Amino acid sequence: MPGDHRRIRGPEESQPPQLYAADEDEAPAARDPTRLRPVYARAGLLSQAKGSAYLEAGGTKVLCAVSGPRQAEGSERGGGPAGAGGEAPAALRGRLLCDFRRAPFAGRRRRAPPGGGEERELALALQEALEPAVRLGRYPRAQLEVSALLLEDGGSALAAALTAAALALADAGVEMYDLVVGCGLSRTPEPAPTWLLDPTRLEEEHAAAGLTVALMPVLNQVAGLLGSGEGGPTESWAEAVRLGLEGCQRLYPVLQQCLVRAARRRGAAAPS
Amino acid sequence: MASVSLSEAEKVYIVHGVQEDLRVDGRGCEDYRCVEVETDVVSNTSGSARVKLGHTDILVGVKAEMGTPKLEKPDEGYLEFFVDCSANATPEFEGRGGDDLGTEIANTLYRIFNNKSSVDLKSLCISPREHCWILYVDVLLLECDGNLFDTICIAVKAALFNTRIPRVRVLEDEEGSKDIELSDDPYDCIRLSVENVPCIVTLCKIGYRHVVDATLQEEACSLASLLVSVTSTGVVTCMRKVGKGSLDPESIFEMMETGKRVGKVLHASLQSVLHKEESLGPKRQKVGFLG
Repeated sequence: MPGDHRRIRGPEESQPPQLYAADEDEAPAARDPTRLRPVYARAGLLSQAKGSAYLEAGGTKVLCAVSGPRQAEGSERGGGPAGAGGEAPAALRGRLLCDFRRAPFAGRRRRAPPGGGEERELALALQEALEPAVRLGRYPRAQLEVSALLLEDGGSALAAALTAAALALADAGVEMYDLVVGCGLSRTPEPAPTWLLDPTRLEEEHAAAGLTVALMPVLNQVAGLLGSGEGGPTESWAEAVRLGLEGCQRLYPVLQQCLVRAARRRGAAAPS
Repeated sequence: MASVSLSEAEKVYIVHGVQEDLRVDGRGCEDYRCVEVETDVVSNTSGSARVKLGHTDILVGVKAEMGTPKLEKPDEGYLEFFVDCSANATPEFEGRGGDDLGTEIANTLYRIFNNKSSVDLKSLCISPREHCWILYVDVLLLECDGNLFDTICIAVKAALFNTRIPRVRVLEDEEGSKDIELSDDPYDCIRLSVENVPCIVTLCKIGYRHVVDATLQEEACSLASLLVSVTSTGVVTCMRKVGKGSLDPESIFEMMETGKRVGKVLHASLQSVLHKEESLGPKRQKVGFLG
């Protein structure tokens, strides 16, 4: 039975009790800066979506679904010179719409959706990283919708979402130049700042700077880059980008395996 | 973003020119257009600035208001950014059209200022946990001709330099109730130190080379750009890849170095211009919007 809100007035705002807890100085444990957490990836799990993928890395769990291609709104635009390879002219190219959502229970504090600016920023980052990989010219006047849902944030959430989105697009059969693999990094604060690959949530909270890199491994092209904080001089950022790219290359075989398994499952399920 | 349609021949012309370090208006790849900065243009704000870079026109107003500090940082004030893309800039921004671009720019500004050293937030605190100064930085896009991020950041830095926050004192009564007292002298204010406020340098990749301060036509020829936010000492605070193309890792490293180099020069000239304008004193001739 719903509570009687007119007579029993609760406080307007609520906070989790951890904010008022005594300062537990739990510094993250020292570890090998180049270790990647074991990853569990599975593609093709949602029945209603054209393509879907679930990725789990440490405590981070992301679910991504792709739908489309369907007709884009406002797609009555004239043509122009056709691109190479039989692609549609620039005005008729397909569109990629990305949506990034956090579940309200994903972080330490409950965040009611809509999350506002941060989710819009991450959705834009997803779109900018996936666009170089998808052959949008092959889907004229159409739009592909990618929606990523973060179920639990255990560190490097954007990197996991990028990888899951690329897997979901591949699972949907969308034509792509290459998979996009994402990797997160964070820099420990002074003294002795070092860049850590694939940080956990605790390491991210204590970090002075964070960086997410998205790489297309076979083409060796950086599809996305987003970093901020007190990262120090450019050499330090360059070192971080190199570390991230290496991490992406190491992750690639796992994703290939996952897609092969999904294709086999689909082949076994369909009547031949 | 405002778009311009270019023919294939024009694109080829621009791309080939850039390979030879020669841009359409005669600049080199690392040259900025002429920048005009003027502060204190709006009288109702605590600080304001107007920056014109080529045809890109940005007006920033900073208002300081008292509020409660955030729970996680009880002894610091904070900054709130809002970017409004006015319909004057291009008809695409009419109604809600400019909202997406506005949120993107505002999010980038939050990211840049999201570290301890950019602005001294502790100086914005009046009494911990109860009162602090909140600086509402409102950016208005009047005209768009390419290179929005750089211009906006220069304008924000100039406006913060011009901001004057009134000095307040907290008086404690015998009963323990606190009272805020504003100083009687209207010119008694605290100024913010903008030494460590970073500047954005956008590097657009065109062909095999990258250019700084791209015009609208050059942006139409570039598939990917790197946005680097540099402080005056060469420390990078934010890095972002913009655009629908991909970048080679080697070119990212080159672009970062160029961004750092160009950023340092930009900071030096901006600081000297701001100090020179301030030294002209209150009797200087204001150009405003008629110049």
